[in-house]
Amino acid sequence: MDKRKAGIGHWVVVVTLFVLAVVMVYPLYNQLVISLTGPEYITQADGTTLIPRGFTLSTYTSVLAIPKVYWGLLNSLFITAAGLVVNILLTSIGAYVLIKRNLVGRGFFMIMIVITMIFEGGLIPDYFLMRDLHLLNTYASVILFKAVNPYYLIIMMRFFDQVPKSMLEAARLDGYGDVRILFKIVLPVSVAGIATISLFYGVFHWNEYFRAMIYLSSEHKWPLQVILRELIISMEKASFIGSTNFLQSTGAAAIEFKALKASLIILAIVPILLFYPFVLRYFVKGRLQGAVKE
Amino acid sequence: MNSGLLRKKIKRDRALYLMLLPVLIYYIVWHYIPMWGARIAFQDFKYIGTNEWVGFKHFKMLFSSPVFLRVFLNTITISAMKIGFFFPLPIILAFLFNEIRSSGYRKIIQSVIYLPHFLSWVVIAGIFISLLSSPLGVVNQIITFFGGEPVSFMTSTRHIRWIFVVSETWRSIGWDSILYIAAINGIAPELYDAATVDGANRLQQARHITLPSILPTIITVFILNMGFFMNAGFDQVFNMMNDAVINKVDIIDTYVYRVGLTKGNFSLGTAAGLFKGVIGIFLILGTDRLSRKTSGEGVW
Repeated sequence: MDKRKAGIGHWVVVVTLFVLAVVMVYPLYNQLVISLTGPEYITQADGTTLIPRGFTLSTYTSVLAIPKVYWGLLNSLFITAAGLVVNILLTSIGAYVLIKRNLVGRGFFMIMIVITMIFEGGLIPDYFLMRDLHLLNTYASVILFKAVNPYYLIIMMRFFDQVPKSMLEAARLDGYGDVRILFKIVLPVSVAGIATISLFYGVFHWNEYFRAMIYLSSEHKWPLQVILRELIISMEKASFIGSTNFLQSTGAAAIEFKALKASLIILAIVPILLFYPFVLRYFVKGRLQGAVKE
Repeated sequence: MNSGLLRKKIKRDRALYLMLLPVLIYYIVWHYIPMWGARIAFQDFKYIGTNEWVGFKHFKMLFSSPVFLRVFLNTITISAMKIGFFFPLPIILAFLFNEIRSSGYRKIIQSVIYLPHFLSWVVIAGIFISLLSSPLGVVNQIITFFGGEPVSFMTSTRHIRWIFVVSETWRSIGWDSILYIAAINGIAPELYDAATVDGANRLQQARHITLPSILPTIITVFILNMGFFMNAGFDQVFNMMNDAVINKVDIIDTYVYRVGLTKGNFSLGTAAGLFKGVIGIFLILGTDRLSRKTSGEGVW
């Protein structure tokens, strides 16, 4: 146990860190407050409002009734879920094969993968690739983007390396082939590894907006982040909610711009918050295992 | 190894090769084909018919263009500002955490401080635009409370780059402190005990024990950052830029998008991207070598 004396310096540090934590949370909290403020008080709500006056969830019900918003949410969920399936499958298979030290050509394969970490063709060749594969304006273009991240592949290899060799040998004596060993033996005991890379990939897909923006021309395929970006950049409500909503004075037409924006920001953060306890548990370890830049 | 043995080994592992095949196909199609596709930097792009090879024409155009020169300098300046002003902060934060003795308090603060790292730059841009808006954002509210004039920060050429440094700090100070915290946790407690016996106070211990102990980590992370120096932060700049400040913040990556993709100068855009990529390779290989020399550990 720590026997250091609590001097004045110690309390300065305690308070400094507390202030820092407030600086981290306050901007998010302020958006939450604005999104929950009642329509009669919203014009007075600003950056220093601490409590939502006239508390209401009506902003959310109206915002979620805007087709591009609920489609955006569904698209984000779909792209994240489908992306994760591809990511986990390919990353696990790759990691399983590439930890076999005596596989002929292993060094070559590893170099081939590592090269992609330091050099890329670039945005425009990527765009032409999508065009040539006829993937422009398909969900597949964003689902398959960064399907196997080399950093996460290496993390998964480290997890698989910890599976006791005796288990693998026993399975092989029972006549298991490599595919069965991977899915029946290695993956079930690598839950922490799957959780780690799932969170890495999941956060990546949920937050991805740029490729969706350039690959997907149909607005109804856009994920939430692209929708939010459009609102932030345009800084204008009328074009965002669409003329039909506007002319018919639906709930969406009555929302103040700042409440609309705040509620979209909160919607884009909620899934991250829901998984945050797991994120904390696995991300921090993952970071120390070598995903330095991601 | 004779060829018969080699063939035997390959035959033995044929299931493994088959499994790896989809992964290899992914890397070849999604990474190596675009690398080959980058050759349009040396060609004139044609919408109809085949592209014509023109050598370094587009690179010459880039280097003689005042816009690209500005973009190049912006990239270097923004990157240098981030390294100069942001880099030391996570280290200081790790030192502060080391002074906290209640592990519960420490955990709570850490969980909160790591959070912004997981938000997209779209969200962070939205939040900062609100925070800094004039006159109702919290920052301007504070300024006017103390009798100052509200500032339109996001459109101010004087402030926008500092907003990049500040928002980068907000997003990454916690996350980037993790490596240093781990390094500090690895220091033998006996060192501190001995120093306490010798009468060293906390500040002296931080200076003479903690700092030298984590110096290798600091150097490694610094070198790593230098390797990615040409990435001044595309997502951040792209989501926070506007026409009023574009001359101050346009970086190579946003130039590639704007000139290359939205204006259709595909060859010129690719040339700019390739130029950045080649500098990046030299920086990473250089820093890898430096890192191996100083800490015995490479970038990978």
